[in-house]
Amino acid sequence: MRPARLWKLANANLSRELGALAVSAGGVALGIGCLVFFLALGRGVQRVVRDVFPVSARELEVVVPQVGIGSLFGDVRLDDAAVARLRQIPGVAEAFPRVALRVPAVTRYNGPFFGREIRMGLEVVGVGIPSELIGADARLPFVDPGEGGPIPVVVNRRLLEIYNKVFAPQRGLPTLTDSMLVGFEFPIELGRSYVAEKTLAGAYAARLRLAGFSDRAPIAGLSMPLQAVRRINARFGQDTGGYSSVLLRAQRSEQVGEIASAVKRMGLDLDESERNRALQIGAAVELVTLALSLLAALITALAAVNIAQAFHAAVRERTREIGVMRAVGATRVDVATLILAEAAVTGIFGGALGVLLARVGGLLVDRLARTGLPQFPFKPETFFDFRPTHVALGILIAVVASLAGAFFPARAAAALDPARALSEG
Amino acid sequence: MSAIELRALRKRYPPREPGGAPQDLWRGLDLTVDEGEFVAIEGQSGSGKSTLLHAVGGLDRDYEGEVLVLGERLRALSDARLAALRHARIGFIFQSFNLLAELTALENVLLPDYFGDGVPDAARRARESLERVGLADKASARPTALSGGERQRVAIARALLSRPPLLLADEPTGNLDARTGEGIIGLFRELHREGMTLLVVTHEVRVSRAASRVLVLREGALFPDPRLEGSA
Repeated sequence: MRPARLWKLANANLSRELGALAVSAGGVALGIGCLVFFLALGRGVQRVVRDVFPVSARELEVVVPQVGIGSLFGDVRLDDAAVARLRQIPGVAEAFPRVALRVPAVTRYNGPFFGREIRMGLEVVGVGIPSELIGADARLPFVDPGEGGPIPVVVNRRLLEIYNKVFAPQRGLPTLTDSMLVGFEFPIELGRSYVAEKTLAGAYAARLRLAGFSDRAPIAGLSMPLQAVRRINARFGQDTGGYSSVLLRAQRSEQVGEIASAVKRMGLDLDESERNRALQIGAAVELVTLALSLLAALITALAAVNIAQAFHAAVRERTREIGVMRAVGATRVDVATLILAEAAVTGIFGGALGVLLARVGGLLVDRLARTGLPQFPFKPETFFDFRPTHVALGILIAVVASLAGAFFPARAAAALDPARALSEG
Repeated sequence: MSAIELRALRKRYPPREPGGAPQDLWRGLDLTVDEGEFVAIEGQSGSGKSTLLHAVGGLDRDYEGEVLVLGERLRALSDARLAALRHARIGFIFQSFNLLAELTALENVLLPDYFGDGVPDAARRARESLERVGLADKASARPTALSGGERQRVAIARALLSRPPLLLADEPTGNLDARTGEGIIGLFRELHREGMTLLVVTHEVRVSRAASRVLVLREGALFPDPRLEGSA
């Protein structure tokens, strides 16, 4: 049977049964709409999770084990020699040592702040990182200026988001952007703590200058040039010559497992707390998406059952017509193909409608979220991530479900005894 | 050369009641229809006339004996080959016309072209067929807009699309008034004169009168009808 003729006949039959077709296609559309909606929602939420907890599949955080035989004997250190050995591990592309600011520090700021007067006092947590780690995120030179110069700092971009969405609205402070803040200077007192007994002898004042925002910077605290932190630690006799941690970047994500094993063989450990948190949240989102997708699949399966009933009824009604077709030269395969073609058209329409419903549903939910939900950190513009693959998958599943539903009716139609069909229809 | 050969054709229906005897529809029919013959088969309702036509058209193969049509042993043919035989070499006409309501008259005539390898030059042939049955001006009409006679003529045009050598008609004038029926019978005469083989099942004497041979199917056997035989 030639496709153009098949389409003509199928189209004629479908136009006759437009009501039943609309019900069948509507059922498929509902199932596919739910499926595509939940898949896009799942992907969208995953994207938000990745934004909040960015985890590189190629990176590992190496630390000294907190309790271990090696550390007891003092022979496991993250010093330059260890970093060199880590760089030698096959598959390691880069190693970025980090060192914690081991002295207390506070910032006290009384003065103008973008059109407002503020009084602020904070304990500062600092960490030294190499400039290569943040690269172009630092928009001012990220090097140790030496004693007396303002120390450049880089802040994790998520802190700015939290300030803008939570802190600023509550305190009536202005919303800020990267560009507004870069170059902003504020004082710091190194060696001083708000807990009096923690303050060290020789505490001194210095200045910090915001050099940029970066997702690469640790979220807790201010990132300073590695040499600056080592210099400050040394000034207070706290430089041990070792690092707090080393970030390893693999050449390929598949090599991470082997690198992790090699790190552990060296007696070192991995800090996977942030990665695990992101993975756990990601897994929870995946699980919910899967459950909702299964629900959608169930709706689609019910739609397939509805299609089976509709086509069974159609075949019963068209018994004589099928007999006529057989009489003028249709084979059993022709008859089955015709029924399945009608089902495929139903599926395509249902699938397309379902995708459209999902898209419209997504737009509505986003609109409601924009107007109805309060501002919160990392609130996305959209909770959905619709992709061309969703459209293709939706229509494909719709067609498969429709074909599955019409399979037995098509088989029954093909098996009709033409003589009986002509007599009884 | 024979167009149709029935050899010892038997068909039984299962008993109506448990423990009863099977019902014989045919008790060993033998018939030869030569090419170019116009044979009418009469018989009472339920005598098996339509079933016989279905057997000759390969629509019913549940019988004992042999049916040879245009040199093909029907029982030996696959579904595809049987469909191809019906498609290209056998035309069917039914009492209730059996047109597809969603298609126009022209599209109904083209129905055989939808299947198999289609019909060569189908569009031109379809228009010629409609012209031949006097419905050239009704090509775009749906069956619901046609009279009974017009519908039957569309059905005949459909049966003629493939220019088959054999035409099988089941009560072709059964649903038509006398005047319209005469027109259909005239058309059959014309086709017969052109050399087409016709096997027509009917209970109307006016149809039988047009045939070159008339048989009566009675109690499972075929008998020549002495009243009308050779009257054409």
